[in-house]
Amino acid sequence: MEVTALSLLTLGVLLAEPVSRTLAAASWPARDPVGALLVWQAVGLAGGLALLGSGLVYGLAPFGSSLPAAVPVAFDALADAAMPAKVGVPQVLALLATLALALRLVGVLAAVTVRTLRARRRHRDLLDLLGTPWPAAPGARVLDHPVPVAYCLPGLRSRLVLSAGVLDALEPQGVRAVLAHERAHLRERHDLVVLPFVAWGATAPFVRGMVCAQLAVAALIEMRADDVAAAAVPPKQLTSALRTMGGAAPAAALSSFTAALDSRLHRIDAPPLPLPVAVRALVRLAALALVAVPTVALLML
Amino acid sequence: MPTLGELEKAVMEALWSADAPRTARDVQDVLADRALATTTVLTVLGRLERKGLVTRQREGRAHRYRSVASREDHVAELMHDALDAAPDRGAVLARFLGSIPADERAALRDLLG
Repeated sequence: MEVTALSLLTLGVLLAEPVSRTLAAASWPARDPVGALLVWQAVGLAGGLALLGSGLVYGLAPFGSSLPAAVPVAFDALADAAMPAKVGVPQVLALLATLALALRLVGVLAAVTVRTLRARRRHRDLLDLLGTPWPAAPGARVLDHPVPVAYCLPGLRSRLVLSAGVLDALEPQGVRAVLAHERAHLRERHDLVVLPFVAWGATAPFVRGMVCAQLAVAALIEMRADDVAAAAVPPKQLTSALRTMGGAAPAAALSSFTAALDSRLHRIDAPPLPLPVAVRALVRLAALALVAVPTVALLML
Repeated sequence: MPTLGELEKAVMEALWSADAPRTARDVQDVLADRALATTTVLTVLGRLERKGLVTRQREGRAHRYRSVASREDHVAELMHDALDAAPDRGAVLARFLGSIPADERAALRDLLG
């Protein structure tokens, strides 16, 4: 089992660092955002399984030849308070480290979730009190403020929000284009897509690969929402609406915001060639395989 | 039959337009055209209090209610939420409420006033 443990650890470290960095820097995700998002989910899941699994496999090795065989034996030993002599300090340390990582990951995820839900509820309460329904788009609410901003509040009781500044700055078709983008975020629950990466990023902010992953996933969901919107309204309408919004928003004064916006607009104006169907299928298979490898290693070896 | 949301809106409007804290009875009089029962007004006020939008203080046998902040303050709060990345990168909310990187928060806050 030591070999399995070492392989899993290697896989976990590879996924957390070089693989994440390489994937974040790759250009093909812009040609298949959905496939890339699936690969990212697989990287996150497989990385977590591998890192947590390696400690578990190493620590429990003295109890059996595989994890499924070792776990019941370990529990029996724990109940009888009779540890096999082979369980040494390294095994105990590995188990403790695994436990610490697991607790931290779950704790961070729970804290982020609770804080997010609380902030959303507060925001929604106020919104329902202060927003005016916009008749032209069912479900959208208008907030009486001159700064143009359009956003969505995800959740079971989701909301689409436009400020009055948006209605001043855009023609109705432009508003529809912006709403199509925000609706895509809501419908595909992009807030849940980013959640694991937020948790990983907060668990290990010192690992640059995790930060790269978070930023890459955030950029990909914007691409995906742009794609959905550009299929629903004429792409020109979407870019001109985004350009007007970007130009009118206070953020326009800030260079990195406009730089990010420019590359987004360019992608909508001149969409990169989608990946060939066979390659797209391969990407999805690779994502599946990536999760399968540590799962099989944990259950079989 | 108005929804609770509409009633909450109406009651908040009544409190926002008042110069001084109001009793449930006052609110009921302001909204006389809706012919609300006092218990209904109290229920709505209770909900608004739980949401942190209204506070009350005892005065004799009645309570006087007032809004915690003005309408404009609340709109500003929403806009800040929307344009501001949350204090840390951990908030998914921020990601979806705006698309602006956290380090540009301060500049935005200045621009928003």
